[in-house]
Amino acid sequence: MSAAHFLSRAGWQVTVFDSGVVASGATGSADGAVSVASKKPGPLMTLAVAAVRFYERLAETGVLADEFMSRSTFMVAAQPDELDVLESQSAQLEAADVPVRLLKGRALAETVGAAAPAALAAVEVQGEGHAVGYRVVERLRRLGGFTIRRNCRILGLHHAGGRVDGVVTEQGIESFDAVLLAAGLGSMAFLAGPDLIRPRKGQLIVTDRADRDAPRFPGPLMSCRYLVSKGSHPAGNVTEARSLGLVIDPLRTGQFLIGGSREDRDDKDVADADVIASLLRDAVALSPSLAHLRVIRVFAGVRAATRDGMPIVGRVGGADNVWVATGFEGDGICLGPLMGHLCQQMICGQQPEHDISALDAGRFGLTLAEAA
Amino acid sequence: MTGMEVLVIGGGPAGVSAALEMARGGLNVTLCEQGPRLGGAIHRQPDDPARRLRVPRAQRRRWRTLAEALSMSPVEILCRHMFAGVEGSGAVLLEDRASGRIVTRRPAALVLALGGVERVTPVPGWQLPGVVTVGGLQVMMKSTGRAPEGDILIAGSGPLLLAVAAQLTALGKAPVAVLERSTGPLSLRAVAGLIRAPAYLWEAAGYLSRLIRAGIRLQRGASVRSIAPAGNRLSVTIVDNIGLERRLVVDRVALHDGLLPNGNGTAAAPAGPFTVLAGDCREVLGGVAAIADGRLAGQAVLAKLGLAGSDSAGSAATLQHERRTQSALNTLFDYSGGDAAQLPDDTVICRCEGRTLGQLRALLAADDRVSAREIKLNGRFAMGACQGRFCAEWVAAYVASQRDGQPPQVAEIVGSRWPVKPVSVSAFVERHPSSPSE
Ligand SMILES: Cc1cc2nc3c(=O)[nH]c(=O)nc-3n(C[C@H](O)[C@H](O)[C@H](O)COP(=O)(O)OP(=O)(O)OC[C@H]3O[C@@H](n4cnc5c(N)ncnc54)[C@H](O)[C@@H]3O)c2cc1C
Ligand SMILES: Cc1cc2nc3c(=O)[nH]c(=O)nc-3n(C[C@H](O)[C@H](O)[C@H](O)COP(=O)(O)OP(=O)(O)OC[C@H]3O[C@@H](n4cnc5c(N)ncnc54)[C@H](O)[C@@H]3O)c2cc1C
Repeated sequence: MSAAHFLSRAGWQVTVFDSGVVASGATGSADGAVSVASKKPGPLMTLAVAAVRFYERLAETGVLADEFMSRSTFMVAAQPDELDVLESQSAQLEAADVPVRLLKGRALAETVGAAAPAALAAVEVQGEGHAVGYRVVERLRRLGGFTIRRNCRILGLHHAGGRVDGVVTEQGIESFDAVLLAAGLGSMAFLAGPDLIRPRKGQLIVTDRADRDAPRFPGPLMSCRYLVSKGSHPAGNVTEARSLGLVIDPLRTGQFLIGGSREDRDDKDVADADVIASLLRDAVALSPSLAHLRVIRVFAGVRAATRDGMPIVGRVGGADNVWVATGFEGDGICLGPLMGHLCQQMICGQQPEHDISALDAGRFGLTLAEAA
Repeated sequence: MTGMEVLVIGGGPAGVSAALEMARGGLNVTLCEQGPRLGGAIHRQPDDPARRLRVPRAQRRRWRTLAEALSMSPVEILCRHMFAGVEGSGAVLLEDRASGRIVTRRPAALVLALGGVERVTPVPGWQLPGVVTVGGLQVMMKSTGRAPEGDILIAGSGPLLLAVAAQLTALGKAPVAVLERSTGPLSLRAVAGLIRAPAYLWEAAGYLSRLIRAGIRLQRGASVRSIAPAGNRLSVTIVDNIGLERRLVVDRVALHDGLLPNGNGTAAAPAGPFTVLAGDCREVLGGVAAIADGRLAGQAVLAKLGLAGSDSAGSAATLQHERRTQSALNTLFDYSGGDAAQLPDDTVICRCEGRTLGQLRALLAADDRVSAREIKLNGRFAMGACQGRFCAEWVAAYVASQRDGQPPQVAEIVGSRWPVKPVSVSAFVERHPSSPSE
């Protein structure tokens, strides 16, 4: 939707096809951390910094007015073995010029003490934010300028005269000058290449609103276990098929979003009591006040994870008018708007504003699938 | 006993009768009810047995028969156990409200007899404190044996209006007015249908004569247009069948526009047990039908599990008969609510999240046809604590009315997520990490 927005502003006539409806993929079942805190050091962290700045810009210019909330993220170590992870992630963030503040002793007690009395140390990552994925796309939809075709699956690309000249949809063939494949997990169906995107399911919990006199949360609390689970940190070479990374996110509504699991599964319509109970147990261990709340909803989403944990954004080999933007795993709400903008720049033949060579499809030798 | 375990959710007539049928067939039955006592909506038992509301004799007798059979059966009864849904691996989740824990079960079959929900169509001000549902008022009276304090106005449509007005009157607390939206004259079809159901006629006649004796008039064709705060009372604007407005100041307004099956938690769960719906949550047909339908549900489970049940012909015939009666009865009422086009933008639609009609209209404004999922996510309808139990049906109907009748499915707005109702965080924390079944 972001690419569609920017392309339509650049004068293109754009149609978005979705096999489901708007936000029916990962975007509609995610938390909305627009955050650098958890990113893998390296190009991803650098791009995330740019992505957060881009959100700020879109909020200021009115495109995403009211949809982006600036705030700090708090990485919390509650056990001695998490202190190392905290320290090294915070050093990496500093190296990427992200403003961080180490909280110990009194400063710790004053900021996160009420919310997480058992915290041993915390790092406040400043200049981050929150945006709800489905609200961002809804905002872009309302701004309009492009057509949305819901419930219209793309079955393949249409070739004529040795080049791609359109798409084959469930409802027939349609001609286009350029095609961007941004179908999340579904993108791979059109591309030849080894099985390089895997589903990673995540389960999340929404609570009811806390009382006025409940302890204040200064921002989202991210357990250092989360970094280990996410694989952002070298210590956490995740090999298990399921891991839990705790983030307690105080929402604007006064409710809490508690997440999330990382499981090598794609059954996005179901949530398991075992996973939910484990997450809640961890959450209450960190923030006992949550025990007084009620769970009003649990849900699951599936992230598209690449083999090397980096998104795939760029031109697809074997065609000069087909681009891909997928594999955002757990970072696509944060990266999405910026990546849509960069895709527009590439499609318009411009040099993208940020260096995304590390995300190039070429690293996996991706080309158009024969069948397409 | 075959040793096979089955679970029934809902301690109303449908659930009790399903439990009895399956116990007779040799199954190991557990009956769960969220409330402190069995009885359901119609046979709600009082908190204090000495303070019991009078109900029609036939109704009382029906419950006594069920309750006695149950007390002699081996059915295990778990009150204060709320069904929270079927989770991903197929386990049935129950919240034990006494111990505050989640209990999981893996029954061979599940009967859901969750009853009906009252429909109330939105009017400006219906979210104010002091506005209740007519059924809610009745349940309160049945539980406490008392009428609420203050002046009460009853409005909407349906037989429940009369029943509750009469019950209030019997407790010495006659309503200030009873407004029935329907203007329709009694049709011959309706009368013919009702003659086959003298029980209902007697019930209605009993209620009416009590109201007439107390000098209370049922005003047909009148409805509530809006409700506004008036000090600590409520000022109600009433409009009659020729469009004249008047105002009444009361302490409570009880609204009701019919009953709907309670669909929350009834969506099929992929990994879950064989599931059958029974009673009002399958089809709203009244108390007599609920007993027959429970029996049929029990028989369906027995058949599925390869066991013999009793003959289903009698129950099926009862159901048919009650269905005819209900549809005859329904022609006398008008459950459509007011004209939605006339409602102002600030009318609250979702009372959990305070979402308004204006917000729904804005979502539908563009030519782009937004989907049910987008209405839910962005409109936040059905996102609140009640999971759409009270607004999804109205929202779907409204969307349909704006789009040449093509409705989004209510189920798409409600979704199929557990928990069916909010469950305390601590209940999960208390749950033993891998307690399979208890
Ligand atoms: C539990 C969870 C928590 C998360 N938390 C965060 C977070 O806090 N911060 C963050 O930045 N990110 C988070 N994410 C990640 C983020 O949600 C995703 O990276 C992002 O939404 C991906 O967006 P997308 O547009 O690439 O894919 P999607 O949103 O999945 O969109 C792909 C779309 O393509 C459609 N499609 C698929 N195949 C076809 C086809 N053949 N034809 C037509 N259409 C097709 C799908 O229907 C879908 O609508 C989280 C994800 C999950 C699951
Ligand atoms: C307020 C009200 C008043 C009514 N008054 C009359 C009347 O006067 N005369 C008449 O003929 N009919 C009346 N009806 C219709 C009446 O509901 C049916 O006649 C009959 O009671 C239906 O029986 P049932 O067993 O299907 O449902 P119910 O009697 O409604 O029983 C359902 C039971 O399921 C329980 N339950 C629901 N959800 C859960 C959950 N998640 N976990 C555990 N337990 C749960 C409820 O607490 C309830 O006890 C009334 C209905 C309502 C809603």
